[in-house]
Amino acid sequence: MDKNIYDAIVVGTGISGGWAAKELTQKGLKTLVLDRGRMVRHGEYPTTTEDPWQLAHGNKPTAQELGRQAKQARTGYVVTPASRHWFVDDIDNPYEEDYRFDWIRGYHVGGRSIMWGRQSYRWSEMDFEGNAQDGVAVDWPIRYADVAPWYDHVETFIGVSGQNEGLAQLPDGKFLPPMELNCVEQEFQRKLKDKFGRALTIGRAAHLTGPLAHDESPQRSSCRYRNMCIRGCPFGAYFSSNASTLPAAQKTGNMTLVPNAIVYELIYDEKQGRASGVRVLDAETGAQTDYFARVIFLCASTFGSTQIMLNSISQRFPNGFGNDSGELGCNIMDHHLGSGASATVDGFDDRYYSGRRPNGFYVPRYRNLGKDKRDYLRGFGYQGGAARAGWSSLQNASELGEALKQKAQAPGPWTIGMGGFGEILPHHDNRVTLDRGRKDKFGLPILRFDARLRDNELRMRRDMINDAAEMLEAAGYRDVRIVDEEYGIGLGIHEMGTARMGRDPKTSVLNAWNQVHACKNVYVTDGACMTSSACQNPSLTYMALTARAASHAVEELKRRNL
Amino acid sequence: MNRREVLQRVAALVGGTISAPAVFAVLDGHAQTPTPDWKPSALGKDELAVVEQVVDIMLPRTDTPGALDVGVPAFIDGMLKEVYSQQARDHFRQGLQYFDAAARKEYRKPFVGLERSRQRALVQRFHDVGIAVERTEGERKQKALVQQVRAAAMLPQRTQSAPVTHPRSFILTVKELALLGFFTSRPGATQVLQYAAIPGTYHGCLPVNQAGNGKRWAT
Repeated sequence: MDKNIYDAIVVGTGISGGWAAKELTQKGLKTLVLDRGRMVRHGEYPTTTEDPWQLAHGNKPTAQELGRQAKQARTGYVVTPASRHWFVDDIDNPYEEDYRFDWIRGYHVGGRSIMWGRQSYRWSEMDFEGNAQDGVAVDWPIRYADVAPWYDHVETFIGVSGQNEGLAQLPDGKFLPPMELNCVEQEFQRKLKDKFGRALTIGRAAHLTGPLAHDESPQRSSCRYRNMCIRGCPFGAYFSSNASTLPAAQKTGNMTLVPNAIVYELIYDEKQGRASGVRVLDAETGAQTDYFARVIFLCASTFGSTQIMLNSISQRFPNGFGNDSGELGCNIMDHHLGSGASATVDGFDDRYYSGRRPNGFYVPRYRNLGKDKRDYLRGFGYQGGAARAGWSSLQNASELGEALKQKAQAPGPWTIGMGGFGEILPHHDNRVTLDRGRKDKFGLPILRFDARLRDNELRMRRDMINDAAEMLEAAGYRDVRIVDEEYGIGLGIHEMGTARMGRDPKTSVLNAWNQVHACKNVYVTDGACMTSSACQNPSLTYMALTARAASHAVEELKRRNL
Repeated sequence: MNRREVLQRVAALVGGTISAPAVFAVLDGHAQTPTPDWKPSALGKDELAVVEQVVDIMLPRTDTPGALDVGVPAFIDGMLKEVYSQQARDHFRQGLQYFDAAARKEYRKPFVGLERSRQRALVQRFHDVGIAVERTEGERKQKALVQQVRAAAMLPQRTQSAPVTHPRSFILTVKELALLGFFTSRPGATQVLQYAAIPGTYHGCLPVNQAGNGKRWAT
């Protein structure tokens, strides 16, 4: 039993878990880090060097592969020979959906930090104040000033390339040099500023475009512009747990990392009124083990952590761990996307680019700011890019034969496109529950989702389309096409909110330090903690909140409060 | 040294004295051209012959390799067998029969028995019709969406893609697959287009002739 006792346990090794592991071990805690999936060490990215001709079927999935990963395939881009091994088998890992719901995920050490989109934006004061001002859901128990130093800390360690713009709605950060906008994007940037007074900036992305400001990550080096990030980067050029936080934690000698360890329950000590540890199922052998610690960090992903909490029933918590408020599993948010526009750009025929930039442009939110008032709350940002059309556009070319080959050799016409990432309001009825009647192959009850877009999002979506078309038309581009693609909540892969932070234990699950209100030695620092969704990509905020919570936990241990 | 060891070593070497591109070169594979005794498994022999001649017309050998040189027929057969659903496979084969029947009706010969100039004309005609049909269909959908966005204060949440009313025609499907197989082949990507495995840098706005060799990038 003694060998199963640690100072801290971290559940999960993704964006949040990696940060918890790094911070807790660097502050001297003997830390057990558990992941439900297989081990992946930095560099163990099986398809990372494959050229196009080495990938079967032109990198298209087989019908059989699609059959096993049907839900993951709703993204349209992850179930391919190049990256499907990072995503779960949907038959082995089922969930129920009362309404279309997309839970896109991978079970392996590093989690989605390997496949994430790397866009890294700070939230602003107005994002933390929004709920209180609009009377939506509950107030965040923290403000920008509480998180700002932790954004500094995280950006400095992981390396984020970007351009400071001095915008209130998108705070500046500690950035490495920005990547370059291409010719057409530069022109569009000027036109947006002139005609609309709106900003366009290069995406802020967790890629090294220069040396880090510290020497703790010698395994990482600069971006080589291959744009094959989703396969894992052998250069460690973008941030992943595997390339960054886990090696830092390993170096302390304080980390014990155990893969294939499915945490299915928190152990609650009714006498002490605290969590004493976690119950683990070995994914390969089915063996059960209990591990104990003074403090537990749940970083198993929004629904992973929620699933563990819902499955942790005790006398004290008959409705799920820390669920005195009844909000556990409720208020699912994401960013709704798939709405926008594209166009063809004349001119610039004599201009091209070299290198595959793993990044696009970003148009920060401008709706419902200042005097702008719409028939919905909050807003959206756009992510997009311009490029010269690739060979697949030749499908519509009228030429065949030698003329087709000739046409293929010349760079295609310039095109530009942008799609909105819209804020979803927390809605109590957008929720996930445990379906105790259905078990997965490990005998654990599966999740059942019931969540959909509501009026606020569907009104916003109209603006996301209209505004994109209007901006492209105003820029003088032709053949403007609008899109409104299929979407289920979760498709943004920014799911959050099912164990929200708040000031009042009656209406929230976590306090201002990410501690479970009713059990202070359990911290939840992944997307589950979010009280609202803003419209910026959330990973950077998960990292900042995790580092902040880890620091708090160590101080509380020192003060003997945990 | 197996692949995994190579990759671990690459990670360890980055920033060291051996340049990463040199290490990566070891990993370069071969183009997936079929062996001489290769036999189709989704297509029959006669069907394969049609596909071969069509892709040769679409992407012939010129001063650079053509579709037949890089094994596009085998690629298409593999796509039909492994990637396509039974329904899509059936549709493809029906389209092929329909196309061949048109040759027989017009010239009283199967497609493969026609002179090359007649084959070209037939392929071009089916191709142009297919493009026109798809363009019209695209415009119709775009107009309907524009009207919906104009008229409604809020949009419905679309959870399913609209059912396909006009599945892609045989000739356009062959073209789609030929382009995919050809430009993801090593000769297609590196000799017809240009490809850089590890660009190393990004330049966003160059004169075309300074963007590598000035050809279209394969990826």
